[in-house]
Amino acid sequence: MPKFVLDGIEIEFTQGQTIMEAAKAKGITIPHFCWHPELSISGNCRVCLVEVEKMPKLVIACSTLASDGMVVFADSDKAVSARNAVMEFLLINHPLDCPICDEAGECKLQDYAYSHSTGESRFVEEKVHKPKRVPLGPRVMFDAERCISCSRCIRFCDEIAKDPELTFVKRGDRVTIETYPGRELDNPYSMNVVDICPVGALTSRDFRFKARVWELSSTKSVCYGCARGCNTEIWVRNNEVLRLTPRYNKDVNSYWMCDHGRINTFKFVNDPSRVDGPFMRHNDNLIRAGWDEALSKAVSVLKHYTKEEIGFIASPYATCEDNFLFAQFAKNVIGSKHIDFMRHYDHSFGDDFLKQDDISPNSKGVELVGAVPGKGGLNFDGIMAAIKSGRIKALYILEDDIVSANPEFGKILSKLDLLIVHATNFNKTTDLAEFVFPASTYTARNGIFVNFQGRAQRIRPAASTIEQDRSLDGMSLSRLDKFGTQYDSWATGNKRDARSSWKILQALMQLYGIKQKYSLAEDVFLDIAKNIKTFHGLNYEIIGDQGSLLNLVVPETAVKV
Amino acid sequence: MNLRRRKKDLTFWERIYIPEIIKGLALTLRTMFKPKFTVEYPEVKFIPPASYRGRPVLVMEENGKERCVACGLCARVCPPLAIEVQAAETQDEKERYPVKFEINMIRCIFCGFCEEVCPEEAIVMSKDYELSFSSREEALYGKDKLLTPIKQVQDRIDFLRHYK
Amino acid sequence: MTILQLIAFTAVKILVIFTMMMLTVSYLVYFERKISAWAQNRLGPNRVGWFGLLQPFADVFKLALKEDIVPTNANKTIHTLAPMIALFVAFTTYAVIPFGPDVTMFGITVPLVVADVNIGILYVLALSSLGVYAITLAGWSSGSKYSLLGGIRSSAQMISYEISMGFSVGGVLLFAGSLRPVAIVQAQQGWMWNAVLQPIGFITFLVSAFAETNRLPFDLPEAEPELVGGFHTEYSSMKFAGFFLAEYANMIIASALIVTLYLGGWQFPYIESFGLPAGLVAIIQVLTFLVKIAFLLFFFIWVRWSIPRFRYDQLMNLGWKVMFPLSLINIIWVACLIMIFNL
Repeated sequence: MPKFVLDGIEIEFTQGQTIMEAAKAKGITIPHFCWHPELSISGNCRVCLVEVEKMPKLVIACSTLASDGMVVFADSDKAVSARNAVMEFLLINHPLDCPICDEAGECKLQDYAYSHSTGESRFVEEKVHKPKRVPLGPRVMFDAERCISCSRCIRFCDEIAKDPELTFVKRGDRVTIETYPGRELDNPYSMNVVDICPVGALTSRDFRFKARVWELSSTKSVCYGCARGCNTEIWVRNNEVLRLTPRYNKDVNSYWMCDHGRINTFKFVNDPSRVDGPFMRHNDNLIRAGWDEALSKAVSVLKHYTKEEIGFIASPYATCEDNFLFAQFAKNVIGSKHIDFMRHYDHSFGDDFLKQDDISPNSKGVELVGAVPGKGGLNFDGIMAAIKSGRIKALYILEDDIVSANPEFGKILSKLDLLIVHATNFNKTTDLAEFVFPASTYTARNGIFVNFQGRAQRIRPAASTIEQDRSLDGMSLSRLDKFGTQYDSWATGNKRDARSSWKILQALMQLYGIKQKYSLAEDVFLDIAKNIKTFHGLNYEIIGDQGSLLNLVVPETAVKV
Repeated sequence: MNLRRRKKDLTFWERIYIPEIIKGLALTLRTMFKPKFTVEYPEVKFIPPASYRGRPVLVMEENGKERCVACGLCARVCPPLAIEVQAAETQDEKERYPVKFEINMIRCIFCGFCEEVCPEEAIVMSKDYELSFSSREEALYGKDKLLTPIKQVQDRIDFLRHYK
Repeated sequence: MTILQLIAFTAVKILVIFTMMMLTVSYLVYFERKISAWAQNRLGPNRVGWFGLLQPFADVFKLALKEDIVPTNANKTIHTLAPMIALFVAFTTYAVIPFGPDVTMFGITVPLVVADVNIGILYVLALSSLGVYAITLAGWSSGSKYSLLGGIRSSAQMISYEISMGFSVGGVLLFAGSLRPVAIVQAQQGWMWNAVLQPIGFITFLVSAFAETNRLPFDLPEAEPELVGGFHTEYSSMKFAGFFLAEYANMIIASALIVTLYLGGWQFPYIESFGLPAGLVAIIQVLTFLVKIAFLLFFFIWVRWSIPRFRYDQLMNLGWKVMFPLSLINIIWVACLIMIFNL
């Protein structure tokens, strides 16, 4: 393999790689603003200038192809002084906005001003003033003064979103970014420009001024918005989810995620409609009850019905662990074969990039863990028909608001004698329920989602419930979480009395006399891996941050009636 | 042999001890008749100099608005995590303002890091040292208690400009 | 004088002395605080009453309201007994100290001393060595290491300094030829004070008196920086008040004893030559006695706020290697004086 030397380190490369790419593959990052691994090379920020032996001038590492025997210096005096000079140029018209700017704390310009700059400005004249607070689109705010004209956002729209909306206008120090006349930055992936913007020029209107990033904890998770299962980070302060950002996974979502997933999939977590503690219906009202009371009452009521009279609706919004235990409960404890789940499809949602028509995160997983009708059991439509005809009198729904998805079901479900629901928020389905058990949201539990490709991916708890202790349960801690006490409102807020569905189901099964000793979601998953062929040999560690592609065979249980 | 005399080696008169005791007694006796330094507090109040670090306050501009832009640096630098800031958007030129600014005076250690780090000269240490609470909630000082007209803290700001 | 009169007069004297002692003790605390404040450029207590004059009552009131804590490990009986011993010893010692000459009232001659015992000095020495029991027992019975260390230190200190104290008194006895305090006072006519005649004895006795009362620079049994509170670490409320009272009562005893033995007792030099009426002379002499005591009490406090505490080895060195030989030299000196001047 051809080699070149960068600051005394030999780096192997393949023909056609740039110096920047080859160095990055070796784990060395050459400073850069405009270069992005997924975007075309623009080479306009000039901060990646390096010295190459026998070349008269400095070259930019991002667009210079590496060649065999090249000797490159990224920290020679010449290269360093060039970098300092570039930084000084970039900072000349950059406003001292950091106290106000949302990017502060994760700003490339800020970081490089520390590490690659002389630290002093010789510019005493008035800086150029440009418009601030320009709404470029419904979700993105633009501050022209902060822009360093790296063109990453323009290239993103052109190349990734395939929807050219942005362009440079004017010249020299008046150059700025505008949308094409009559257009706005509203493509379904527009908020990715906020992530790739190296400064605070493009900021999220949703997250704007909500929090400083250093106050947040970040937890690796998976998006809840569709069957793609984009890898995300959940950013939490004081147990409140404040934003989601994409996490790199080359097989799933690369560096990107859609605006729907970014904005709409966590709002319900912070909503006041959250179910806080178990509820039982009493004189047409749902009344807060204790756990023991609600569980034992639910069991005693369930025992009034024969196994043919009880139906079970699993949920593609719950984890594999929850659905596995739900299927166990239905098939082994109650003995019912009538278990299925509702498929959520929105054919206007999907596209040919990331978004999928299946708008639930785990429908594949539900099928794989066996929450599907047993031999002779009724499928979802069958169960609905049976309720209509009065054959099924009791229904147990796991975390799915089927009435909101299809209002017709409201009439059908009102025919039931008994409806037990696990829910994160009060909704149209819980309005009809006799028992509502508070399920924790996907931001507060461990588990596995299987995406449309058949890739098992982990979600991790980011915001805690009253049962969880951030440090004892190994959740990620912000500084505030680390040092807050029970008396600090900024460390103990937004906790609700909710549990993972598998925990609630396990408690119910214990009341049926079945002794199970799962203490963690991982124990449930190990049981899944033992019993279900597709998951053989997997555990949380193997699945890790990037997920594992399952060896998909059509499960025997997936027979439809 | 000529041993160097060490500080702890006493002379003959010091070793006798009695002259030294008398010296000491004379000193205390003289002190007894000197003027006293005590300030009789509730009646007479100590007015600290500008360098004094009393409880931190937020500077209120003459238009009745706070200077603070809720950048959160004070909260970040605060060693005991006494400060909580929640920013929000405003239509003013400064774009953001603190919708909530709370100092937990039980946590505060009066180190003055917040005023040192503040890029806007928006939080300064006042001369107020009279702090007492009867509950934890009372010790949470919100914007209502923190906002102080700029005139009252002008000498502190001048002091900071001169010495910071 | 009938036995009934004797009992009546003695009872009155006891009552007067006891009341005086209690008042003096409480105001002694007040003055201790005031003088310490003055020595440190402060004002001292000035909130309760004029110039803080009611402070002692506030202090007592506060102490009385405190919870009486007895540690689990403590020997409860002895723990309770110890402050009582301390108080008892402090108050009973005063019985033999004369605070004025004989006075004649209603045709009856009354000696201004509760008990004119002919072994008065022995009585004082005996009782003051009994005082060490209070501290040692308090230290031992508390079941705390700090208390125990304080108690042990105190017994070692008391024993060491009692010897030089006893020998110093020896010189006084040689002059007076009697163990009766009244006789000792009478032996110091005019300026023939023992302090003048035997300065070395005076100094050794003074120093030993400081040590016996556990006052600074000899307060090792308490030694706050190292032993928390020494023997009274585990005491609170009125039991602590007992020790507190006893310490100040002991200061008064020590002052009275020093006055009696070395500073001419109640005598005002050459007052006979002024030709005043007998009653007035008696009053002046009682006042003289009080003034002398007051000065010594001031001296006690003054020393406390001037001189730092000894280290334990320094304390023992001073006791055995300095004070003891000095008191022996004093006896020889007095013997020589008597021989030469045939006193």
